[in-house]
Amino acid sequence: MQTPAPFGYERATSVDGAIASLQRLGPEARIIAGGHSLLPMMKLRLANPEHLIDINDLVELSYIREQDGEIRIGALTRHVALLKSELLARHFPVFADAETVIADPVVRNRGTIGGSLCQADAAEDLSAVCTAVKAKVVIRGAAGERVVGMEDFHVGPYQTAVGAGDVLTEVRLPLRPGSGSAHEKVERRAGDWAIAAASAAVWIAAGRITDVGIGLSAVGLTTIHLTRAEDLLRGQAPSEDLFAEAGAIAAADCSPGADGRGPIDYKRHLVGVLTHRALRRAAARAASQEA
Amino acid sequence: MSTTRTRTPLVRGRVGELMPRRDAEPKVTGAFAYSSDLEAEGMLFAVTVRSPHPHARIAAIDTAAAVATAGVHAVLTHADVPGRKTVGMHRADQPVLVVDVVRYQGEPVVIVAADDLETARRAAVLVVVTYEVLEPVADPERGEVLRDVRIRHGDQSLGADVVVSGSYEVGMQDQAFLGPESGLAIPDGDGGVDLHVATQWLHLDQEQICAALDLPPAKVRVHLAGVGGAFGGREDVSMQIHACLLALRTGRPVKMVYTREESFFGHVHRHPAWMRYEHGATPEGDLVYVRAEILLDGGAYASSSPAVVSNAACFAAGPYRVQRATIDARVVMTNNPPCGAMRGFGAVQVAVAHEAQMDLLAAALGIDPVDLRVRNALKTGDRMITGQVIDGPAPVRELLEGLRAMPLPLERGSLRADLRELPGGVANTTHGEGVRRGVGYAIGFKNMGFAEGFDDYSTARVRVSLVNGEPLVEVHTAACEVGQGLVTVLEQIARTELGFEHVVVLPADTTVGSAGSSSASRQTWMTGGAVKAACEAVRERLHELAADRSVEETVEHHHRPTFPLDPETGQGDAQVALCFAAHRAVCDVDTDLGLVRVVEIATTQDVGRIMNPAQCEGQIQGGIAQGLGLALMEEIKTENGLVRNPNFTDYLIPTILDMPPVRLAISETPHPDAPYGLNGVGEPPTIASTPAIAAALRAATGRPVTRVPVRPDDLI
Repeated sequence: MQTPAPFGYERATSVDGAIASLQRLGPEARIIAGGHSLLPMMKLRLANPEHLIDINDLVELSYIREQDGEIRIGALTRHVALLKSELLARHFPVFADAETVIADPVVRNRGTIGGSLCQADAAEDLSAVCTAVKAKVVIRGAAGERVVGMEDFHVGPYQTAVGAGDVLTEVRLPLRPGSGSAHEKVERRAGDWAIAAASAAVWIAAGRITDVGIGLSAVGLTTIHLTRAEDLLRGQAPSEDLFAEAGAIAAADCSPGADGRGPIDYKRHLVGVLTHRALRRAAARAASQEA
Repeated sequence: MSTTRTRTPLVRGRVGELMPRRDAEPKVTGAFAYSSDLEAEGMLFAVTVRSPHPHARIAAIDTAAAVATAGVHAVLTHADVPGRKTVGMHRADQPVLVVDVVRYQGEPVVIVAADDLETARRAAVLVVVTYEVLEPVADPERGEVLRDVRIRHGDQSLGADVVVSGSYEVGMQDQAFLGPESGLAIPDGDGGVDLHVATQWLHLDQEQICAALDLPPAKVRVHLAGVGGAFGGREDVSMQIHACLLALRTGRPVKMVYTREESFFGHVHRHPAWMRYEHGATPEGDLVYVRAEILLDGGAYASSSPAVVSNAACFAAGPYRVQRATIDARVVMTNNPPCGAMRGFGAVQVAVAHEAQMDLLAAALGIDPVDLRVRNALKTGDRMITGQVIDGPAPVRELLEGLRAMPLPLERGSLRADLRELPGGVANTTHGEGVRRGVGYAIGFKNMGFAEGFDDYSTARVRVSLVNGEPLVEVHTAACEVGQGLVTVLEQIARTELGFEHVVVLPADTTVGSAGSSSASRQTWMTGGAVKAACEAVRERLHELAADRSVEETVEHHHRPTFPLDPETGQGDAQVALCFAAHRAVCDVDTDLGLVRVVEIATTQDVGRIMNPAQCEGQIQGGIAQGLGLALMEEIKTENGLVRNPNFTDYLIPTILDMPPVRLAISETPHPDAPYGLNGVGEPPTIASTPAIAAALRAATGRPVTRVPVRPDDLI
């Protein structure tokens, strides 16, 4: 099937208007931003929303700025803007790493960070990136705004803390000194879903890892937050052996399935190597920032 | 002041010149009409109801609801096939529409024609087929043997001091042509039909349509439509008979275009192969014997399997002198997807094995792998393992030495490399960690043309007339331009032979005699030969040419006869001519992640005569891309007879990002039997490119790599 089922369509002129429409139209209404996940699902009739509320006119949701000790990213910010942002590259190079290998330029010109996070596909990259950098997201609904940490964001496969009448409006990245971050991914080819991907962020002070975040894509039902490996690393001096050990934990703590992209053993192997490599690069970047 | 010079008329676009293809620009700009772009006034759209099961008995077919749908004009089953109910290239074993037993997933059961595509699709859903599902035979070891070819060459008791053995496997590759099966059938109102279709062999289509429709050839005219790639996958009929049946039943033109998913079920694939090999040699490195057991899965129907298995056997030892050969090759029938012709035709599978064996043997002997190949290289005057003495060129040694002398690509620099140049390309984040380089060599060969006594020929009609006083040459054949550049070459031949600038190659159809198939690397040799001969005949009569009198000749060109293989010993002069190509692959591998970047393919190929340099290089580049695909990614995956990846998301084909630069050296050793000394070009690039990459991966990783496509987890 190559055409979606019939649906109603409206263009939102404000965030509050979009929220009001969601409330009015009920659970069969969906927000559409870049549309690169929703539209293919509609064409395949995997998603059959009765109404689409198009938020692409809400330019007020498209920004990357520094404010109150955070990097703040509007939900409608396109992948290409994340790829090219110097501010983001300076503080969180993990975004440029990921965006280089997310889909292709056509998709990156259109797809948004808010859409990626809300789609919450386990193979999606930015969910792992945001998990690693310990992002918080701002969710606005009829009852007002709330801020949710990534650790509480995913509630199940394709399910997030964003409720039926809610809109994700902003992603916040707390700025702390001594940070370095990196994203490592393997896909069968450009534009395909990942076979596996690992995002890592470290914060280093006085030769010790003061904090660390690791997120994995495509090797579980949701994005995987590697808390056991983080616990191992926190407080330690960065070293190859330590990162290799963290990689081994990562390989053990993920839960990939076998499919056309590879058998389980290979995916676990990839997770180990990618986690190791991501930590190594993140630490090197932290060190170069310190210098 | 001006000087006067005598101008000699220079007719450009002769044989050997770089003449641009006339279809290049329209194809690049999107203006080219493919077979799926055809339209006729009042045409209907047809779709196919296919079996979801690989093996089942049909208990009932209920078409009532589909027939009753508004806008539906015909819903046909096997009962509506007026003539022979089966088709097939070598044997007519495949039903036009399933009669009682389904033998593979996707087999056509019912066809529907309606006013528009959506109506046809909805009506197809309303067809109720009741299946009694049967257990499929999916394991080729349990398949029924369709043909086995035994070769017993030399003293069968010969043994050797140094012995190496191995088991090898080749996955099921798809032709993956971009233009799906499609065509338009137009009834002539007088019981006949004109079919416009993308195919490889117009007259074979015509013959099979006539048999199924119970019509004489004059009533079924087949015209070549724009072909979006073929590679063997359009030799068997797909929608041809169905569209004609519906057109004759409804009295309306009928258009039929397969979807991408359907296309995976609409044509045969390359046979997957399982091969056990043993090579014996003297301590000095002279090959003594080759033993091989080769199993090919032919799937549900015969298609061209009997000829593919013959090729696999005949070329099983590679282009080497061997005192003794003991080859047992068999092709079996299962409920897996039918397999048949694909570029390289049996020689591709065995090259993966014989070249890996040569590397194993070189390692066991402590000899350089290229030296070992050169030492045992076949040459003119040698006997093949079928006992046939090679009387044409066999420049195996020259190709290998030329290849070895070509410079290697530079080592990867220490500078931060472009992602595209690293293993996995832009699809991963290798940054150079764990990357090791490997270099591998391979050489392969196969036959030009059909074998084993098939009296192959092509027909050309050439006509010269005067138009406004200028001579116009019209070349008419039934030879299919499938993208290889045949039309351009035929034009060059006519211009060369007749010396006139204005040459028109008419559209190919069945109103002229058969040209045979655009396959087996044969079409330039065979139809080029026919056009050359027809031009020569016309040239003899040019004195008759006048304003009101044209000169026309129709000539059939046959190659020299071949002979069957002895069923007990596999000995016989079965081949017309042989084509050779050697490849060197340089690969970088991320040995931690199992990711590959082919850095460069170098190749030496002897083509006899370069007819058109750009097209010759294009064929070689394209063939290598297909060989790279088989080495690294292209595989139809099946599970108990069901195809798991009938789409281009999961059936991976190389893109421009996967394809490395090709360093090529084309040599021209004239073949004495061929027009202009030319030889087949299209298939050899697909043969040794695959094993060369496998060899490079072994060199980079130290892993055995006995199966293609190589999977990342085979390399870590």
